[in-house]
Amino acid sequence: MVKYILQRLVLSLVIIYIVVTLSFFMVRLMPGNPMAALESQLRMQGGLTEIEIQNRINAIYGLQPNSPVGQQYLQYLGNVLRGDLGRPLTNPGTTVVAVIAEALPWTLMIVGVSLLLSFIIGCAVGQAMAAHQSSVGARIMTLTVSFLSAVPSYLVAILLLYVLTGIYRVFPTGGAYSVDVAPGPNLDYVLSVLHHAALPIVAYVVTSFGGWALGMKGSAVSVLGAEYVRAAESRGLSDRVITRSYIGRNSMLPMITQLALSIGFMFGGSVFIETYFQYPGVGYYMIQSVNQRDYSLMMGAFLLITVTVVVTNFLVDLLYPLIDPRIARPGARKRRDDTVDTDPSTDVIPAGGTIA
Amino acid sequence: MSWFKDLWRILRHDIAALIGGVIVLIYVLVAIFGPTFVHLDQEQDPTKAYLPPSPQHWLGTDALGQGVFEQIIIGTRPIMIVGVLAAVVTVAIGVIVGLWSGYVGGITDQAIMRVTDVFLTIPGLPLIIVLSAVIRTTNPFVLACVLSITAWAGLARAIRSQALSLRSSDFVEAATLQGVSLNNMIGRQLLPNVGPYVAIHFLMAITGAIYAQVGLFMLGIAPISGTNWGIMINLAMAQGALYTTDSVFYLLSPMAAIVILQVAFVFFSRALDTVFNPRLRVQ
Repeated sequence: MVKYILQRLVLSLVIIYIVVTLSFFMVRLMPGNPMAALESQLRMQGGLTEIEIQNRINAIYGLQPNSPVGQQYLQYLGNVLRGDLGRPLTNPGTTVVAVIAEALPWTLMIVGVSLLLSFIIGCAVGQAMAAHQSSVGARIMTLTVSFLSAVPSYLVAILLLYVLTGIYRVFPTGGAYSVDVAPGPNLDYVLSVLHHAALPIVAYVVTSFGGWALGMKGSAVSVLGAEYVRAAESRGLSDRVITRSYIGRNSMLPMITQLALSIGFMFGGSVFIETYFQYPGVGYYMIQSVNQRDYSLMMGAFLLITVTVVVTNFLVDLLYPLIDPRIARPGARKRRDDTVDTDPSTDVIPAGGTIA
Repeated sequence: MSWFKDLWRILRHDIAALIGGVIVLIYVLVAIFGPTFVHLDQEQDPTKAYLPPSPQHWLGTDALGQGVFEQIIIGTRPIMIVGVLAAVVTVAIGVIVGLWSGYVGGITDQAIMRVTDVFLTIPGLPLIIVLSAVIRTTNPFVLACVLSITAWAGLARAIRSQALSLRSSDFVEAATLQGVSLNNMIGRQLLPNVGPYVAIHFLMAITGAIYAQVGLFMLGIAPISGTNWGIMINLAMAQGALYTTDSVFYLLSPMAAIVILQVAFVFFSRALDTVFNPRLRVQ
């Protein structure tokens, strides 16, 4: 158990380290990289001495552009460790961390609520489809669900915007809450937040619950035929007990694995959803910064999205042994790898294809 | 080709999959031959902007008075080219890495799988966006490579577990006793046995790549030049299509083109799944 947690922890830290390194090399060392671009831009403006230029760059990126690359890299790592990601190019009065810290809770709320809703709805629908496999209703449901899981979320977002904010002005077009309510624990504020969050969440859930339903159906169907289910039936256990403790728990296992994988996909999707609904989350700022060539903010947003995904993944990994006790014991885990992983029919292709 | 017969037998009984396959075929034909039959008027005439559908312009016109239908036909080719290229890159890397790692095993396998874990965990879309912000993606192949930067990892992991189970089979042992080279082992012995799996993943990779690339064009992150569906939506949105009702065909037609193609791919790949996975057929 301890070894398992340690393994996941080390992997998480390595990933964060790799992403930090990647962001350093992309911003500093690519040909025509943003830092060199800023330097030449400042030089073009004229009227600045060499030292002033260096100081400006240092203020934005937190680095001395003239020092050796290795030293810059160490300096960058040190800065990141201290939580200093520089300042946004377009708004040097604040820091990258401050901008993102304000945006992150909104993204976490939208992604978290959507993930939970679509997971619960999807699993319920999937289990129902598996239970009544041959009925007409289940067939229609399968078609509908496959259709929905194939539709890109950003198109649903545009459609919702077009109908519900363009033609019928039922929902607001942007922001996280109205300007006329005071932020705080009062009813108006909460209602306003819900009102603004409703459309993004709907856009997420509509497009992602289908994938869960299909995965759950496949998983439940493969469990239905298992020998231990037949054994439980022949022992005369009630349908309810079999469904809950034999089918439910076992068919949930692949779903939980999938949950971990889909967290990254959901955060990726937030880039589109937040931009179209103009919802002030991390994804929104990331696209804004890309379009304004604000690379320090862009890398900060990317770094933060990655760290969030890695941390939530780690949390799901911690959850996993609770659901599957075999994980905690390495010997049993090896057997599980041999039996489960080599079975292609239990592999679930994530909603939205292979770009997760 | 026995699986081809299988495919036809399944398709005959699964209407949704048959329609999906036909639609995919039509899109491929449009991508290849469309631009030779349909021409986009270079002439821009603002007095003809936002016309409703007519025999001349089947889906009406855009803000510059150019036909929407013609743009969709012409926009099919770039989208399909990048989608297929990205899928080829994804599948090639995924299969080679997966087979190699699964067959060789040991330390190499462990090392490769840790790298795969890293790529599986890093959120793909943000990485793609960051990369295309720094790299010039005007070349379709470069764009395809950027799009497949994390997509190969899932396939590699799946192929590896297939290779692991193949490793202990008799024909691999026979080949080992004959002393075949590593290339022969991976290319001639193992590869044909994971073929079906690869075919399905190829289709899924195309849909994934189309999802991501249209998204990039829509957000204006990939360079805007020429005509494709993402750029059409981007321009429509930029011209305030959300808040006027006369540009409804301009905004919704490219969206419909994408949705129809994506749904068709999913239904068609489901049929492939049943062909290659006989256990699913029994259900």
